[in-house]
Amino acid sequence: MSRTPSIPLRPETARAAEGDKIVVGVADLQLSRDSSKSIITYALGSCIGVTLYDPVAKVGGMLHFMLPESTVSVDKAAANPAMFGDLGLPILFDKVVAAGAKRERLVVCAAGGAEVLADDGHFRIGSRNRTVLRKILWKLNILLAADDTGGQHSRTLSLRLADGAIQIRSQGKESTLWPR
Amino acid sequence: MASLNDTIAALDRLPALPATSMRLISMLAGGGRDADLREVESIISHDEAVTAAVLRRANSAAFGMRGRVAGLSDAIRRLGTRELCRIALETQTSGLLANAGRSYGLRRGALSQSALGGAVAADELAQIHRLNREVAFVAALLRDIGKLAIDAVAGPDALEKIAAAADTRPFLAYEREAFGADHAELGALLCERWSLPTEIVAAVRGHHEPPSNPHQPLTDIVHAADCVARWAGLGLGCDGLMYPFDAGARERLGVTRDDLEALVADVLAAAAPEAAPGTAPLRRTA
Repeated sequence: MSRTPSIPLRPETARAAEGDKIVVGVADLQLSRDSSKSIITYALGSCIGVTLYDPVAKVGGMLHFMLPESTVSVDKAAANPAMFGDLGLPILFDKVVAAGAKRERLVVCAAGGAEVLADDGHFRIGSRNRTVLRKILWKLNILLAADDTGGQHSRTLSLRLADGAIQIRSQGKESTLWPR
Repeated sequence: MASLNDTIAALDRLPALPATSMRLISMLAGGGRDADLREVESIISHDEAVTAAVLRRANSAAFGMRGRVAGLSDAIRRLGTRELCRIALETQTSGLLANAGRSYGLRRGALSQSALGGAVAADELAQIHRLNREVAFVAALLRDIGKLAIDAVAGPDALEKIAAAADTRPFLAYEREAFGADHAELGALLCERWSLPTEIVAAVRGHHEPPSNPHQPLTDIVHAADCVARWAGLGLGCDGLMYPFDAGARERLGVTRDDLEALVADVLAAAAPEAAPGTAPLRRTA
């Protein structure tokens, strides 16, 4: 994809590792092919977490983006494209493919995109994040395997690299998003 | 669940804001006229955590200073009184909030990070609306201090159960039902006990439900700053996004979607600089 900026994203770092978990911060992206680990992001509100997983190559990646469009803050977008869905999503796909995944095998899941209570249409950051996700996937000709989005609650999303299982934890309850 | 009396009684068991912070806040609320560099220096040099933070800040790239600072007195001279007050308040408030928010399911440090994120947003908004930036910074920094009181009275999983059963009312309504008071009111009661300026008490009390008649400009700003921090993914517990953005405050502040999203990006860069490599945190020298 030609629009990928040349700014390198952070490699998986010691800071991001918590035991068997690779932690994705807000506006962050992590990749791994270590089957003993999970990739996890905490407290997705209006932000969206997107996971990609190739069940054959056992390569996975996760992006936690915060805002839909990078046009609102050009300097922040240049410093960290993972903050924005429009830039972060193509980079996530490129990185996972570069790490050995095959695009046609990718299982794509998403969670988050919650909305502030009683938003009367002024801000709707959560819904607009969901829209940019759909738009980019449409352009890339990729379907979502499963998603858990909307509402007002926060979610923790994890991807187990051994088998690609996607777990969601929200309001004290744990559920499996994929496989269904 | 707890009665209002139990909840109020819990306030007595909470750690207090350090006296030095109270003194610094009253200096800042006086517009800085009252600020005495020697007094600030003495406060800072008696607190190891604050001293370390001052040296870190003075040496950080964000200040763009040539050469490393020689020592504490050099750092103090270079940073200036207002910045020093902020660093001291940030450090001491983080100490209070580091473990707060457990009952909301927050991870360690999440509430201090959200306090700082909101404070940075309030500072920017106060600058636009020509209010005292330091007071806005402090009010937003302390806005969720009442969550300490909820932690003290809520049993394990109590809030998660409440959140799971919640419908479409703001989360404060559920806190009032369960504990007799919500975290905004409890935070205001704590700020009153610490003899903080009345405008800060009012902003903490109204930070989710800003009054409209008469409206309070500082409260509107702290309210918007709170929403911005939440959109930046900071301080999200089981209460999630169950707080509305007040339409009256939005109109009075005249904030557009683009302004607000740019602020969300700034706030994340400032509160979690590791999330935006290469971006200087939002700091200023004056």
